[in-house]
Amino acid sequence: MRVHTSGSRLRSVATTVAVAMTLLLAAAAGCDSQQEPELPSVQEKLRESHIWGQPTLRIGVATNEPLLGEVRNGVRVGFDVEIARYIAASLGYEGDQRIEFVSVSTEDRIPALQGGLVDFLVSSFSITEERKKLVSFAGPYFVTTQEVMVPTRHKNAIRTIEDLRDPNYKICTSGGSTTEAELEKHQIRTQVVKNVGNCVAGIRAGRYDAVSSDETILAGFLARYPTEFEIVDMPFGTSELLGVGVPIGDPALRDLVAYFLDKSYQQGRNGQASPWQTAYNRTLGPWLHAEKRQPQPLDVPKLVDFDDKAPRR
Amino acid sequence: MSRAADATTGDPEPAGPTPPAPRAPAPAPPLPTPSGESSAIESSRTAADSGWDQVERRARASQSFWTAVVGVPAIFSVLRLGVEAGGELQTTLLLVANVGPINLLAGFLTTAARLLSTALVAVFALGAVLAASVRGPRRRPLFARWVEATPAWFVAASFLTALVTWPLLYLPLLVPAIVAAFQLRPGRLHELLVVRALLIGAVLAGYLWLLVPALRDAWHQNEYLGIVLLVVPPLLGLFVAGPLPGVVVRPLASLTQVAVLGVLVWAALPVISTPVLPLTVTTVGDDSGVTEEVRGHVVTTDDVNMVILQERGGVRYVPVEQVRAQVLCPSEEELPRYQLRVRDFHVEDSLLEGLGRRVRPVHRIDAACR
Repeated sequence: MRVHTSGSRLRSVATTVAVAMTLLLAAAAGCDSQQEPELPSVQEKLRESHIWGQPTLRIGVATNEPLLGEVRNGVRVGFDVEIARYIAASLGYEGDQRIEFVSVSTEDRIPALQGGLVDFLVSSFSITEERKKLVSFAGPYFVTTQEVMVPTRHKNAIRTIEDLRDPNYKICTSGGSTTEAELEKHQIRTQVVKNVGNCVAGIRAGRYDAVSSDETILAGFLARYPTEFEIVDMPFGTSELLGVGVPIGDPALRDLVAYFLDKSYQQGRNGQASPWQTAYNRTLGPWLHAEKRQPQPLDVPKLVDFDDKAPRR
Repeated sequence: MSRAADATTGDPEPAGPTPPAPRAPAPAPPLPTPSGESSAIESSRTAADSGWDQVERRARASQSFWTAVVGVPAIFSVLRLGVEAGGELQTTLLLVANVGPINLLAGFLTTAARLLSTALVAVFALGAVLAASVRGPRRRPLFARWVEATPAWFVAASFLTALVTWPLLYLPLLVPAIVAAFQLRPGRLHELLVVRALLIGAVLAGYLWLLVPALRDAWHQNEYLGIVLLVVPPLLGLFVAGPLPGVVVRPLASLTQVAVLGVLVWAALPVISTPVLPLTVTTVGDDSGVTEEVRGHVVTTDDVNMVILQERGGVRYVPVEQVRAQVLCPSEEELPRYQLRVRDFHVEDSLLEGLGRRVRPVHRIDAACR
């Protein structure tokens, strides 16, 4: 009898504890459901960035880089332009009427960002430690290598880095580019011009004998003059990480651009059609030797967005 | 026979110190009186009075319950219109004129189903626990009387609504609530303790297997409350049925009545301020090609104007021919707090929302919404 009583007493104590804990947990759940998200949201970052409230977005792009950034029949086309459009649309600027493309030459890229001429820059801009002191980078959105393009008349003569050092050949490159520094490191004397397009025009006019730049830029000119040039694979050994340049004083915008590049990267990884892949297939894809994939963007912030609840599989 | 009484009489275990109180009007025990015949008449009259009293009490409890169930949503719906209109009388009248009662009620149920089902589940679970704990003809706590006055189908419907509308993260709390509301003791599973333990063990193991990836993520993200909310409630479900000690019943009854009322008021504020109409961004352009984006809720559209209640307040009449485009936008209240998924279902989605996302998986946010 005593055993029975103590058993039922234990039981009623257990029930009391269970009821109390359930009520406590329910209260905790109630408080929890009223909390704001801990992570910053895309909207908050947008409000922090300098573009908040701007009617249009000014994006710096190249004008004379076939396949990357050029004007064809009055329309901006190219891989960089497509990436710029994707980022702009993600930031709330969809359609060309809301984007103001600003033509920026290779050497004017950093001053354009520093001077507030552009909101951000998508123009074959290699990420380097030196440049990181002056501007912020989001990305990389493309990994390329340095190559040399020669006219068909020199295709058998210029094959190695040694050949480039031959004083008889005039090697052309664009000023303020990573290629200029790389060629200098290999003691190659260069003729520095404003854009790679000037080098190509110079070669066609007979003023220069070879041009060195990123594989992507050269592939664009090869696409424009397929019978006149050839790309020579040389072991420069450095890979160029192309990033989106953002003013150094706007970390919120940098975070947003990195977030949206990563969103495209994640879509591609999940086997969906990503904006990056679409841009690549439409522009660079058919002209590069080896197939490329979108590289994983670095320093991607964790942000909350409206579509976070969508199924991943 | 009542559900609570059903549950306890079906229990092969000893029902504890408090036998279930009968819900049907039961005659009170005859009072001991020294005289013979007169005492018999007296006792039968007392029994009749007490029975009538109980019937009346039940009727009153039922009435107050149904008044609350119908009245609260109706009042909320009207209050919401006032809040939605930004407190302006003319705007409120504009909304009243254009939002039909059916739309209003449907809109209200869409946003408040979660709150309503939570309140009902809390009342039924607490009521059943209290009913199982109070014996004799003493005046029973309000929730206990409500539970007795409510038809079983309504209780079941409330739990079903909770099942499909509660966020997955809080859904485990429904286990102790169901167990309490229907007084389901583990003893009812099987007579043998070993079989019972095996059954419960198997169910819990299956449940944990379902949750393991989510729990691992929660651990990495330091979301300890999430882990507790997912794991602990089903374990509490094992002990939650059964009578409470007499000392606890009264304070618990008063405390929970105040608490449920408090929670209703506290949780009602966000529900009242949730918009009745969907949020849209309308691109308006004039003949000169200049466009403007108006963010707000479309109240109505006729042949001449589109009436937009702007997000920042004020009503705008936009000529129909100037409307260039219109997109539907999410509101910032919909941003998720957790980065956790249970088998690819986001923990803040309800079962209904999760299934919906499977039917229409891609949800692209239009650029105009930014």
